[in-house]
Amino acid sequence: MKAHRISGGLIDRTKPLTFSFNHERYQGFEGDTLASALVANGIKLVGRSFKYHRPRGIFSAGSEEPNALFQIGHEAHQEPNCRGTVTELYDGLEATSQNHLGFLSHDLLAVNDLLSPFLSAGFYYKTFMWPKSFWEKLYEPVIRSAAGLGALSKRPDPDVYDKGYLHCDLLVIGAGPAGLWAALNAARAGARVIIADEDFLSGGRLNSERFEVDGMPGTAWASKIAEELQAQDNVRFMTRTTVFGSYDHGIYGALERKTDHLLESNGKPRQVLWRIYSKRSLLCSGAIERPIAFGNNDRPGIMLAGAARTYLTRYAAVPGQSVAVFTNNDDGWQTAFDFAEAGIEVKAVIDTRSDCRKIAPEGAMPFYGDQVIDTKGRKGVNLALLKSGAGVECDFLAVSGGWNPALHLTCHQRGKPQWNEAINAFIPSPDLPKGMSVAGAANGSLTLSAALEEANKEAHAISEDLGFKTKSSPAPTASDEAYEGAPFWYVADSKSRAFVDLQNDVTSKDIALAHQEGFRSVEHLKRYTTMGMATDQGKTSNILGLAISAHYTGKTIPETGTTIFRPPYTPVPIGAFAGRSRGKDFRPTRLTPSHQWASKNGASFVETGLWLRAEWYVKPGEKGWRDSVDREAKAVREGVGICDVTTLGKIDIQGRDAGTFLDKVYTNTFSTLAVGKVRYGLMLREDGLAMDDGTTARLGETHFVMTTTTANAVLVYRHLEFCRQCLFPDLDVHLISTTEEWAQFAVAGPKSRALLEKIADNPADLSNGAFPFMACGEIAICGGLKARLFRISFSGELAYEIAVPRRYGHALFERLIKDGKAFGVVPYGTEALNVLRIEKGHATANEICGQVGAQALGLGKMLSSKKDFIGKTLGKRPGIAETDLRLAGFRPLDRNRILTAGAHFISNGQTASLENDEGWMTSVAYSPGLGYSIGLGFIKNGDKRIGEIVTAFDAVRDNSMDVEIVSPHFVDPEGERLRG
Amino acid sequence: MAETSLKAKSPLNGYRKTLGKTKLEEVSGLSIVSLAIPQRGKTKLSDALKTAFGVAVPAPGKTLTMTSESGLLIGLQSDLVFALFMKDMPDPVGFIGGKIGDTAYLTRQSDGWCALRLSGPLTFAALERLSQVDLSPQSFPVGAVARTAMEHLNVIAIREDNETFLLLSASSSAPSFLHAVETSVRNVL
Amino acid sequence: MIIEHPLLGPRDASEFTYLGDASMIERPDPDAPDAADAFYDYLHIRDNPAGEHRELWFHEQGDRSWLVVTRNTLTHQILNVELARDVALKARRAKK
Repeated sequence: MKAHRISGGLIDRTKPLTFSFNHERYQGFEGDTLASALVANGIKLVGRSFKYHRPRGIFSAGSEEPNALFQIGHEAHQEPNCRGTVTELYDGLEATSQNHLGFLSHDLLAVNDLLSPFLSAGFYYKTFMWPKSFWEKLYEPVIRSAAGLGALSKRPDPDVYDKGYLHCDLLVIGAGPAGLWAALNAARAGARVIIADEDFLSGGRLNSERFEVDGMPGTAWASKIAEELQAQDNVRFMTRTTVFGSYDHGIYGALERKTDHLLESNGKPRQVLWRIYSKRSLLCSGAIERPIAFGNNDRPGIMLAGAARTYLTRYAAVPGQSVAVFTNNDDGWQTAFDFAEAGIEVKAVIDTRSDCRKIAPEGAMPFYGDQVIDTKGRKGVNLALLKSGAGVECDFLAVSGGWNPALHLTCHQRGKPQWNEAINAFIPSPDLPKGMSVAGAANGSLTLSAALEEANKEAHAISEDLGFKTKSSPAPTASDEAYEGAPFWYVADSKSRAFVDLQNDVTSKDIALAHQEGFRSVEHLKRYTTMGMATDQGKTSNILGLAISAHYTGKTIPETGTTIFRPPYTPVPIGAFAGRSRGKDFRPTRLTPSHQWASKNGASFVETGLWLRAEWYVKPGEKGWRDSVDREAKAVREGVGICDVTTLGKIDIQGRDAGTFLDKVYTNTFSTLAVGKVRYGLMLREDGLAMDDGTTARLGETHFVMTTTTANAVLVYRHLEFCRQCLFPDLDVHLISTTEEWAQFAVAGPKSRALLEKIADNPADLSNGAFPFMACGEIAICGGLKARLFRISFSGELAYEIAVPRRYGHALFERLIKDGKAFGVVPYGTEALNVLRIEKGHATANEICGQVGAQALGLGKMLSSKKDFIGKTLGKRPGIAETDLRLAGFRPLDRNRILTAGAHFISNGQTASLENDEGWMTSVAYSPGLGYSIGLGFIKNGDKRIGEIVTAFDAVRDNSMDVEIVSPHFVDPEGERLRG
Repeated sequence: MAETSLKAKSPLNGYRKTLGKTKLEEVSGLSIVSLAIPQRGKTKLSDALKTAFGVAVPAPGKTLTMTSESGLLIGLQSDLVFALFMKDMPDPVGFIGGKIGDTAYLTRQSDGWCALRLSGPLTFAALERLSQVDLSPQSFPVGAVARTAMEHLNVIAIREDNETFLLLSASSSAPSFLHAVETSVRNVL
Repeated sequence: MIIEHPLLGPRDASEFTYLGDASMIERPDPDAPDAADAFYDYLHIRDNPAGEHRELWFHEQGDRSWLVVTRNTLTHQILNVELARDVALKARRAKK
């Protein structure tokens, strides 16, 4: 048996690595990929195909790989569909093959291959349609388990991911000869350069070929340039980094694989998703070789010719011991020469061109103007049958159909590739993404010298464009390899299936069938046959398919068109897009000043936007949330309660015209508000519907503080800035949020005054005369701390809100609880707050819901007739101004029943229908004071129907019941308590 | 203000950690006041600030170091700057008001912000994981300031030194902010 | 996308909040006889051009300025960025 590993190559033989494939242990070296290590271990069969479960081998040596997909890692770490050709080998790597039932070598699903006549394009659509109910229950599950690529662990991804942002003058995509040279020149000119390559080793094709650059071996030249780049401060050299997408305005998406080549990531991010902001970019992504379609062209041992050189030259791994080459171009011959040079038996070179006169290496038989029509070999090729009738015994068949520029990123902003006759391939359109240039093979300059020349020229032009002074310097010297070829796409005389898309098992016959059935546009062809889908996105198959389609339509390839490419260039794990935003890190959390106290004192928290608020505080012995809420609400009505209301938006409004400004944004007037007073304000949207409400205090002649609801704080601030800058730019008014600055607590209940007097520094006169309802002012508390005090009430009780700089919030909350003991103080949460406000008939977001104006809310009197304000004009529309909906209170006739919000009101005796709908319940609560369930809601003429019985219809929760319309003010309708 | 019996609490309780050679610490005891510039009042305010602190109104994106105090003027908006003093003042609004009168509308901001100072060799690498704004020395020299978003949080970033940034973010989300910055440093360690 | 802020330089679009057509700046005269129609048009009737579009963006995570951005809706190319306040003041002066 001959060696599968020869001398040389860019692997480190001092660093052997052990890995497993299908639970067998093998050895490779540092510098290997999983694919090259498998080649070096003589393994040819690496997986089964998607649909027919045909044995497959390694087909390429790069990210275009359609066949060699593996599951890597185990348990939750396992990742399916990893391309072995770009999986860097590490010690302890565990790989298993995919797509087979039972052993890889005896796949039970290989029966599909025998059924292939029935499994052609569109087969599923045609066959599994009847009976219809079978699809979900039978066909789909069976097809799903038989087809498809790898499997997920179905467990949370244990790896860590991160994101980041990079900035540069020039982004060079690809670190092959063109990219390296361009990056170096731009960097020397002074540009901030990022150069990124998906490979772990820079150099591109130089590592696979035996080229010389500037008189030295290509690999040595590449590592010299790479070293020089890495030494520059203005260069970021990123290997293992795929630039996968080109976005607006010079933004690129890139995935850097940080620890995928290590067994353990040690808690560090496995991959980093970078957003790269570039002024200019240069695409040097090289080219991808395409195959030729012929009968049974998918057997293990059949590989792209350039890839064969990569395994041989870069990895010193021998993919076959008796080699045949099938080509339509001169570059394919290079594989024959390189293998012969390495001492490997080359049996034949089959060239489709009859006028080709290249001399085959010694011992190899040239077949000019011939074609491989079929192959034989059960789990690997062992015979190539030629059109001429000859047979070539070989265990390896290298195929070259020419090279396609890897122009994917040029299409990401809808650039349409253009056909180039000279190289029989598509080249980038001149309509490139903003700031992008293309150089080298990616631009159709397929030979080394031409690529370097172009890179040299582009680097110079880009540097100048960026404003750097550069001297024109010559490109490195290199020769141009032979690459001429004649277009040849598929062997028409093949009787057996000729695979066009190996990953999706699409054959030339499928394309013929699609054509026959009318799927002739490229986009239809793609979707009908699934060509170009899945992990490789047709990198080796698209052009081939297009050419065959063109043959059937009788058009040229450019007339047939091409599909353009979308991001990502290669697959990006969803985890990388999520980055850190997982679990609790999905979004930030905002905490109130009393949070720590609350969490130590039985609070249950509720998320309101980003805020965590105490919803109630559980006392020992309380069996359910209602126990806690009822107790808290009662205690406020009878004694005093403290509630953290810091979350309400607070906006400082200052300026000579602050009052005028408030008159514009509120429906009622604020310019007349006296200093030291607070007023309730209603804000409309310009369409006349209610937007938000709250109180605004006047602290000085030119100084107001507005409060907004918690939910609308950001929205209102944005709206006010819009009004200030765009609508009333002449006004001298200034806004700044102080939500974060002040810890603010509601102190509510008949004993609230007594409690505040206790913490206030002497002398503090909080009597009704000195500090009446809707007063505000500064007061010294707790030994000289200046606090803001507002006499406002949401609960309907005698109540205040007190604000201190946030740093003192925690201590003040503690102090209020401590000093309040004598008055029976309770901390109360948002739920009791809600009970209290429903009892009082105060509106919140449930009522100010974006569907009603001031009239329905019963606030029609707040619409000033003396001034203009936002929403005034459109608020006069009949639908808003003349609505007969009114806010009312409701209670169940059967006092034991519990109301539900969302119920719709129907007059008694009417059927529940849309025509008879009279309004809806907005808020409900159990009133511990009244001892039954109460609700607020909008109902037609509610203010005039007090005492009427209607049906609250709730079919969704099967909770319809008769309710009585009552005043929305269940508690203290005259407002004596809050003025007391 | 007299000594209150209430104990002040900083948003991160004086957090301080060294990760490798990179230091991350809460800076408590800063005093911050916003100065809104009255319409057509920029020159007047600049003159008053020059007299009081030796520096004029900074342009948005720039900070100016006061000569009379240990502090900065931070240009945030076309009509708004922050005055930041490196010491705890009970009444910073009164202090500035006493010096510049009514040439600006003043609002207390000391407690609205949590301040972190990130310094050391990994500072820039950590910030690359957070900031969309280019914070490289070329684009963002010492004294530059940017208000931007990091991990969904609004942050004011000031370059104090080659390897030192002062980062201000809202007090209420201080633990999330710290977590974001600390994670970034750990991720680049 | 990147928006070239007139005061702060290039900023990622994710720092901004989008509102819509810049004609929102020109709030109709509430005292005009046809105010109701004018407000209806102002609020609800929009051009939807495939091409150049003047639109309002709010620099919410930055300096809190409203900007008028002229953007090509087909290519996302941004042709001009102005402070909305300047635009509004100019419009007022033009009216007077």
